[in-house]
Amino acid sequence: MNGIENLVNRLFSDVGVYDAIRVTLCMSVCSTLLSSVFGIALGLTLERFSFPGKRIVVRINRTLMGVPPVVVGLVVYMLIMRRGPLGFLGLLFTVRGMILAQTLIITPIICGMTYSYAVKTAPAVRVFAKTMGASRLQTSLLLVKEMKYELYFAMISGFGRSISEVGAVMLVGGNIKGNTRTMTTAIALLKSQGIFHEGLTLGLLLLAMAFVIQCLADFLRREVREEENY
Amino acid sequence: MRIRNLEKRIGDFQLKIEDLTIEEGKIHGFVGGNGSGKTTTAKLIMDIIQPDAGRIEYGGLKLTDITMTSQRPYLLHDTVYANLVYPLKIRGRKPSKEQIQELLALFGMQDKAKQYARSLSSGEQQKLSMLRAMIFEPKLLIIDETLSNLDPESVEQFERMILEIQKKRPVTWIMISHRLSHLYRLCDRMHFFSCGRVIASGTAEEILFANEEPEIRRFMAKELVQRGEYDL
Ligand SMILES: Nc1ncnc2c1ncn2[C@@H]1O[C@H](COP(=O)(O)OP(=O)(O)O)[C@@H](O)[C@H]1O
Ligand SMILES: [Mg+2]
Repeated sequence: MNGIENLVNRLFSDVGVYDAIRVTLCMSVCSTLLSSVFGIALGLTLERFSFPGKRIVVRINRTLMGVPPVVVGLVVYMLIMRRGPLGFLGLLFTVRGMILAQTLIITPIICGMTYSYAVKTAPAVRVFAKTMGASRLQTSLLLVKEMKYELYFAMISGFGRSISEVGAVMLVGGNIKGNTRTMTTAIALLKSQGIFHEGLTLGLLLLAMAFVIQCLADFLRREVREEENY
Repeated sequence: MRIRNLEKRIGDFQLKIEDLTIEEGKIHGFVGGNGSGKTTTAKLIMDIIQPDAGRIEYGGLKLTDITMTSQRPYLLHDTVYANLVYPLKIRGRKPSKEQIQELLALFGMQDKAKQYARSLSSGEQQKLSMLRAMIFEPKLLIIDETLSNLDPESVEQFERMILEIQKKRPVTWIMISHRLSHLYRLCDRMHFFSCGRVIASGTAEEILFANEEPEIRRFMAKELVQRGEYDL
């Protein structure tokens, strides 16, 4: 009993678990929403228009999907550090700075997934919309609607990536307790202090969140496939 | 509507239609073997693909008044009802309950309004796509191979319905099929496609009984043999 109390106290006071959870959720929700807007718009645009060098753009997109977040963190850090080109914005060691970095990491993921789905879906939807006499706007709206589960899925993937990311958030946010400390950077800190139990508890919490997200994703995937009569 | 010197190249396939007139209010049939260019012509009319040369004179017909049911219909990821009313929705028109029920009843599908459209049997999916094409009262309907997949009773039902529509409010139809037998009862005019060309146009009588084109005679003979009406 004492042990658990000890543990809870330690997590809550020393490392600031409540705050870390709050910061993680706030950051992940914001960066996922921003990335969804940019990523979906970019992905659909990329599918819609052909231009010279499009294949290169798609390839770069795919590369960025797998870019090590810590590299993005470094670049963002250099941009927003006091002497950097964006230093005047005062984003260094703030949640807003972390959201910026995460948006740069997740947008290519959502963009790439949206693009792949759109390439598969759009031709048939466009032909259908034409036969129905739909306008351009109606066609685009229909395409988004027809892809909605896939788009949710892309967003969930982005969110999952966001909550589990540590490198960029550490560099840009600085792991300030109660302020920019997230669940993942808290774990990193606990480890460096040699406090493994608490780290593991937080880790399990993250794992539980990831599991819930997977359940959601699975539900959506089933929603897409089920009831189809091939 | 008139098609003049239309040319379209797709890979090795070359479509070339010198002169094809689609008279208003008539039922037209496009018939010919697989890959003879029927669907390609329909897509050109529907402006899904654009010709390399030549043109289509629509004669006042707007693209939004033309519709086409695809040989592989696209059904929205939604209910039968949502699919059926989609063309009305985008035109800002309100569907009436009676109209929907009446349409679905034509094919005995009145109980299926709430069913997920993609869970229908393939024949039912085809029927739904036809009803969806008819619901907004287009002036030209292109039915691509859709009849070919229906059971005999539904075909009869459909033919009766078309003839009824033609009596009330004539619409122009283009029925596409790879079998003469699907079309000759229904069509006012038939156009025979072969290797990307229209090699004969005329009434069903003219095509069936008066055309000497060896290709068409061969096509007919094979069809008869396959149906067991003519034993070699
Ligand atoms: N997108 C395409 N790519 C390559 N070949 C095509 C394409 N569309 C049609 N074709 C070719 O054009 C020919 C005519 O096709 P189509 O008009 O669909 O024939 P059908 O008379 O059976 O409807 C076929 O040989 C087909 O392979
Ligand atoms: Mg075809």
